[in-house]
Amino acid sequence: MEQIPALMRKNLVLLLTLAVMLAVFVAAASGMSQQDFVITLLRGLAVGALTFLVASGFSLIFGLLDVLNLAHGTLFMIGAYIGWTVYVRPDTFVDVLTPLTLIISGFTLRDVWILLARRVPPAGARSADLAAAWGRVAPWVAIVPGALIGFGVMRGYPIAFWSLENYAESPVTFSFLAGQGQRVIPAPATFGDASPLIAFAGLMLASMLTAFGITLLGRSDAHTTQVQVTWRSFVPFIGLVIGGLAVFAVNDPLTAWLFALDTNWLFLIAALVAVLSGMGLGALMEMTLIRPLYVRPIYQLMLTLGLSAIGIEMVRAIWGRPEFTMPKPALFAGSGEGCPAESLWLALQHGCSTMIFQGGRIRVYNEIIVPLVGLVVLIAVWLLLKRTRLGMVIRAGVQDREMVEALGINVRRVFTMVFALGVGLAALGGVLAAPSIGLSNTMGESFLLNALIALAIGGLTSYPGAAIGSLLVGMLQQFIIKYGQIGIVIPFTEVVFKPSPPLVPASTILLMVIILLILPNGLLGRKE
Amino acid sequence: MTPILELRDVHTFIGQYHILQGVSFAAPHGAITALLGRNGAGKTTTLKTIMGLTPPRAGEVRFEGRRIDGKRPFEIAALGIGFVPEHRAIFRDLTVEENLKIAERKKGDYARKQDMIFTLFPDLMRLIHLRGTNLSGGQQQMLAIARALVADNRLLLIDEPSEGLAPVVIEGLIGAIRQLAADSTVILVEQNFLVASQLAEHYVIIEEGRSVKSGRMPDLVNDKAAIHRYLGAA
Repeated sequence: MEQIPALMRKNLVLLLTLAVMLAVFVAAASGMSQQDFVITLLRGLAVGALTFLVASGFSLIFGLLDVLNLAHGTLFMIGAYIGWTVYVRPDTFVDVLTPLTLIISGFTLRDVWILLARRVPPAGARSADLAAAWGRVAPWVAIVPGALIGFGVMRGYPIAFWSLENYAESPVTFSFLAGQGQRVIPAPATFGDASPLIAFAGLMLASMLTAFGITLLGRSDAHTTQVQVTWRSFVPFIGLVIGGLAVFAVNDPLTAWLFALDTNWLFLIAALVAVLSGMGLGALMEMTLIRPLYVRPIYQLMLTLGLSAIGIEMVRAIWGRPEFTMPKPALFAGSGEGCPAESLWLALQHGCSTMIFQGGRIRVYNEIIVPLVGLVVLIAVWLLLKRTRLGMVIRAGVQDREMVEALGINVRRVFTMVFALGVGLAALGGVLAAPSIGLSNTMGESFLLNALIALAIGGLTSYPGAAIGSLLVGMLQQFIIKYGQIGIVIPFTEVVFKPSPPLVPASTILLMVIILLILPNGLLGRKE
Repeated sequence: MTPILELRDVHTFIGQYHILQGVSFAAPHGAITALLGRNGAGKTTTLKTIMGLTPPRAGEVRFEGRRIDGKRPFEIAALGIGFVPEHRAIFRDLTVEENLKIAERKKGDYARKQDMIFTLFPDLMRLIHLRGTNLSGGQQQMLAIARALVADNRLLLIDEPSEGLAPVVIEGLIGAIRQLAADSTVILVEQNFLVASQLAEHYVIIEEGRSVKSGRMPDLVNDKAAIHRYLGAA
């Protein structure tokens, strides 16, 4: 207990700053009606929660890997689009599963490729020059045909979403229909003349060739690691191939089942798939693109910036440019009998989209569920950091990666996991945001900016700092928006001031500037 | 008997700089070997090269007869080498207990070694829930050595344990290092020749990135000319 005064003296500036912020907040909020206040508070919480999902992953990645992942906003958006696809077009999702598993399958045979790579160039090479030249060409001899075969096969592979004629308008239309409760199962796509067996074999061949080529590219690494090929090396490969083919075999019933599924469960599945794909995407990105660039931070920055642009264009190419909505799951979408409900319990019972809270009408999903999920993630990641060995390694690695490695811990693998986790959190944020703010190609950018400001406010690598910063940013924005509608009386005058919309982003930057002037490392940042 | 660790003509670069320009020595089993030399001679780099933190560009490093150069640091550590770096590198945000637990390579390492560690460093016991950032220099040094003892390490690399510590604290450390050398081999980098001469049975002198002289410590203690020439101290 005697530590408290000492702690207070140590953090005097921080406490004073928080006190002043609280005072300003109370003064600003006192002019509001209770109803407005509650709604604005909840909306602030919601925006804060979504910002936090982006910011926390960003800060974990930056803290441990020193990578400023500027593609984080794009990955947030991709999470939303993947979630939407599973939710509104499960047929496409099922169609994509088989080729995807087959393409991944070849890469799981890494040990086999390393062993084979050691035989290239062949032992009988006539001269060192020839061997070196061959070594440089060989990877591409495998990768180029692999990619060509893959491309050729995928063009012929029937995926419900594939045909150009209908996709330009279909996301919007399908969202609309799904929102009306009409879930029309599109005619299952069928293979043309080519036998599916040829397509499967082609995809696997393409995958194997590309994987082998990539192993050849990274050969210097492959020489030192010891590998043994046993039957275990083939287990993931066989599992993926069998899984992929099994999905193909039950394609139609599986699609029908997903379409018939209750939207609440479907939404959960969609969120899960979005998070898992986000994690997979993150791991892939770290292993292939980020890893070679740890020694060149500037290139990393350019890489992630470029990836963010590429990601946006790819989403445009696949889902089109127009914005569309994601219907809410049935539990939060009703407006029938008993709605708006008097309590959260009743709202959930009747499946109401809105409820009455403190005299105001609030949306259950947007203003209750989103902040709740944010809170759950906050606690879950905090527990991961504080209570698990992985968390311990992450906290230690943020400070001194070399020492962690010297203790016998494979830091590179931890890097991949943290990157995957960070991107998974962003994808969760995206899929969570989609039903409340809709989908657009640029939805990630504002959240990335918010997250960056939140982290600057809270302290770049501090996890609680990310939470507090996100909350402040969300609150401030929502209160400014609200004052834009109702106006605020400037103290000691009669003037009513209505902040214009551009002041919303400006206000958060202003807050950041003020806080950084007082506390250069952010609220909870560590002094460097 | 093969030496536990052997370096053969090791060359290490840090960026453009050719730091180690031919270091060769063999550290015998079950003894303390001190690496001596002036500031900037390459002693710390030698330890980091053994750990793979600054991998050698040429030469061989053998641990128990097997080559370990070119392996990644975590693989080298997993073979049974513990590292106590310069400036201790205690994890500030972790408690003392977590600092020890993170060094586990097998589940239960910490539980098994607890008694041994706290007999060696009784002070650590009452600090167990303190965070690394709140420890004094001597406590950090004890923790850094204790951390290297959690896993089953047959070789310990200890860099400058006495640096910045009060003489009383150094006394205690010398006793502890001597005790733990009974079970494992130690390679010690030490600026303080008095400390090194009390602890080590063997020595290697490194000068400008080369190993120039090695042998048994008692011989060096009596060789005032060599001490003066290589270490600049009497």
